[in-house]
Amino acid sequence: MSLLIRRYLVVFFLFSALPAVLSPALAQSKNRAPGFSDLAKEASILVMTPDVELYSISAGGVIEPKADWTESAQRHLQASLQTRMTGSQLKVQFLPEEDGDAFAEISALHAAVAQSIALHHLSGGNLKLPTKNDQMDWSLGDAVTPIRQKHGADYALFVWFRDSYASSERKAAMFAMALLGIGISGGIQVGYASLVDLKNGQVLWFNRLLRGTGDLREQAPATETVNALLNDFPAVAAR
Amino acid sequence: MKRRQWLHMGCAVCASLAAGGLLAQGDLDYAPPERLARPDAASDEGGLWAMMDREEKNLRRSGLLLRDEQLNRYIQSLACSLAGEHCGDIRVYLVRTPQFNASMAPNGSMQIWSGLLLRVANEAQLAAVIGHEVGHYLQRHSLARLRDIRDKAALGQVLGLFGIAGLVGQVALNATAFAYQRDHEREADRIGAVLMHRAGYSVEESAKVWDGMLQEMRARDGDGATVSPLFATHPPTPERRDSLSAIAALLPGGSAGTESYLTRVSPFLDDWCEDEVKRHQFSESVALFSRLMVASPVAGLMQCYRAEAYRLRGADGDDERALSDYRLATRDGAPLAKAYRGIGLIERQRHRNSEAAQAFRRYLELSPGAPDAGLIRSYLESA
Amino acid sequence: MKYLIVMVAVVVLAGCGSVRKVETGTNKVGERFSMQLEGPWNHVDFPGIKPGQLWTMEGITVDELIIYAGIKDGQVMHPDNAAQTKKQNVVFRRDMPTEKIVSMFESVMTRDDSVFKLLRIEPSSFAGRKGFLFEFERIRRNDNLRQLGFGYGAVDDGELFALVYVAPALTFFPRHQARVEAIAHSALISPPVGAAAPVAILPPPVRVSIGMPGQRLPAVSTAARAVAIPEPK
Ligand SMILES: [Zn+2]
Ligand SMILES: [Zn+2]
Repeated sequence: MSLLIRRYLVVFFLFSALPAVLSPALAQSKNRAPGFSDLAKEASILVMTPDVELYSISAGGVIEPKADWTESAQRHLQASLQTRMTGSQLKVQFLPEEDGDAFAEISALHAAVAQSIALHHLSGGNLKLPTKNDQMDWSLGDAVTPIRQKHGADYALFVWFRDSYASSERKAAMFAMALLGIGISGGIQVGYASLVDLKNGQVLWFNRLLRGTGDLREQAPATETVNALLNDFPAVAAR
Repeated sequence: MKRRQWLHMGCAVCASLAAGGLLAQGDLDYAPPERLARPDAASDEGGLWAMMDREEKNLRRSGLLLRDEQLNRYIQSLACSLAGEHCGDIRVYLVRTPQFNASMAPNGSMQIWSGLLLRVANEAQLAAVIGHEVGHYLQRHSLARLRDIRDKAALGQVLGLFGIAGLVGQVALNATAFAYQRDHEREADRIGAVLMHRAGYSVEESAKVWDGMLQEMRARDGDGATVSPLFATHPPTPERRDSLSAIAALLPGGSAGTESYLTRVSPFLDDWCEDEVKRHQFSESVALFSRLMVASPVAGLMQCYRAEAYRLRGADGDDERALSDYRLATRDGAPLAKAYRGIGLIERQRHRNSEAAQAFRRYLELSPGAPDAGLIRSYLESA
Repeated sequence: MKYLIVMVAVVVLAGCGSVRKVETGTNKVGERFSMQLEGPWNHVDFPGIKPGQLWTMEGITVDELIIYAGIKDGQVMHPDNAAQTKKQNVVFRRDMPTEKIVSMFESVMTRDDSVFKLLRIEPSSFAGRKGFLFEFERIRRNDNLRQLGFGYGAVDDGELFALVYVAPALTFFPRHQARVEAIAHSALISPPVGAAAPVAILPPPVRVSIGMPGQRLPAVSTAARAVAIPEPK
């Protein structure tokens, strides 16, 4: 059951970083649903509240969830998304805070699906799902219908982040260990973004960040992070 | 693991090694501080509060929260009677989780788990636990521990780079962390005792909480999970019970409040017992239900669940023990559906078909819509 | 610097998990368990899943079909996992009555402190034998995802044969339920080597779809997560 699997997921995710490191350009064509190219002109998009958690890793490897960092990350992401999406020629609206509870289950569903897309599709290799025929073919189905009914948007953008940062003591320890040939974690940024068609739940476009850089605690690097995540975000159709 | 450690740091009825020591009346003149103001958001304490606020928001959305209004009001007002003028800063959340735990966050949100509510016998015992947690809150122990852990973890990593010397260093660090926590626990116990005494509860009852936990721990199934996540790191000791007894001698009088407590919690006992058995730590459950059966108005229900624990454990002689408990629990015709189902299941395995059929019929009468009604009906037909 | 760990992990763990296509048609799992597939599935293999076999349509973080093909008397269910979570092993016994077998599955699925609620358990023919079915709701502790699931099982010659499917209650459970039902209906246990064929093959089970249960459990949240072990990153 999933609990059996989760222990190995981390390992899979680390493994899955390799192709991204070696050939980032390859990822381009893999990020779209079959048959999808551009967004409809004059379409509206609802940006869901980003699901984000930040952690610190102390010198001793103690992982602490950092609510204050998380809160600033939330603010910075919101601001960066606002800027980034406003330039997209779409009608952009943001999910109001008070709707967070109502759509919490859909957000959890998105996170589960995003992890599978990252693991089985973007990572590729021997973790590909043969039944998906190498296509990014995932759909949240009618689970998204309540979002469309409430907000009347054509698309939704889901964003998910887990990010950790090493203390300076830990960075020193990492360096020392590296001299001995032992690698220890200094914090990894994992981010997912999914563009979902609210008519049928299809994930039209998906991207993942998995890297040792990036920082959501400050506005400028958070903007860099959002731009990196949405780098290949689909354009609006020319006519 | 790390997160767990950290979150509990707040924390909880940490079993301490609080030694008896010499107590004088003067130690017990505790004067609580002024109401705590919200710390500066940029400080480490502010960070701690912000994190706890977020946890609290998630807690409010939790499906595990016991939302019964009367029960919540009852326990919140018990907390208020202990916390005095800090009452308005303390928010109690009841969580449906079958383990013995209570914890206090520095921002004033307190969790009490249903496994604890099942295990305490009266208001005074619950007051002892809540008073202890309020003590941690008033003395801002979480913050001290946050700083302590952070400093030591940094030091430990550096020491860890140097082989055996590092190993010795680690041991020394663990020892100091332990001593540090012990001081907090001793202090929280002492404050809790004073607060419950002032609220009119019998301090003697607080020692009984630990006595009960000791009995349960001795019954642990090998290396299985413990009844409380807290005892994984530091087990409750007789010393703690003894030091509380010593304090009780200095703070005599007060009431236990057994009946008023059981009246309030009895509608929930069935669910909590069911959750307890579902932990699959049957020997602990047997010890627990045995204790809860003693001189209790709810002895029949507890005996029925002890039988469930025996039946599911299935060791040599357990079926006989279970049958005997089920029969005693229902000897006055008490409408305990589970007891009849249990009798039926055991008799069926022994091929005593008419006994099984009789018990199954009674079960289905009492509980026609149970999730396993289909299975039991098929057993009845084939009996 | 951070890529260092990535490289270490790749070297140590490459080849540790893999996915294989399960083709349409007759499929044999283990020595004497087989089923008919109307469409292909993905078989995900990785350490720790034994003694089950894991299939998925959408990915392992979404839906899981676990196949048990002949669990023997005294065999431990998912021993690796029990050790990691410091909970007791559950062991299959050939004389276990149905309620105890289901309780064994429940215990496996709640090892991570997920919330499990049994919705139904009743006798059902399965794979040509007298067996049972059970339905449940589960709230996955790790991410509060609400799932629905069901299982079929039967004991033959002292060995347990079973299928358990679990998927998110939203979208995915309803999407794949019928497909998994069809697999369950087509399952067959062949007699142990050297034994005579069974006297009669029972008809496949007939049952109504559970769909979405009327009563919805709200999502579990951090209260509980206070004791959960976090995902390392
Ligand atoms: Zn304490
Ligand atoms: Zn503690």
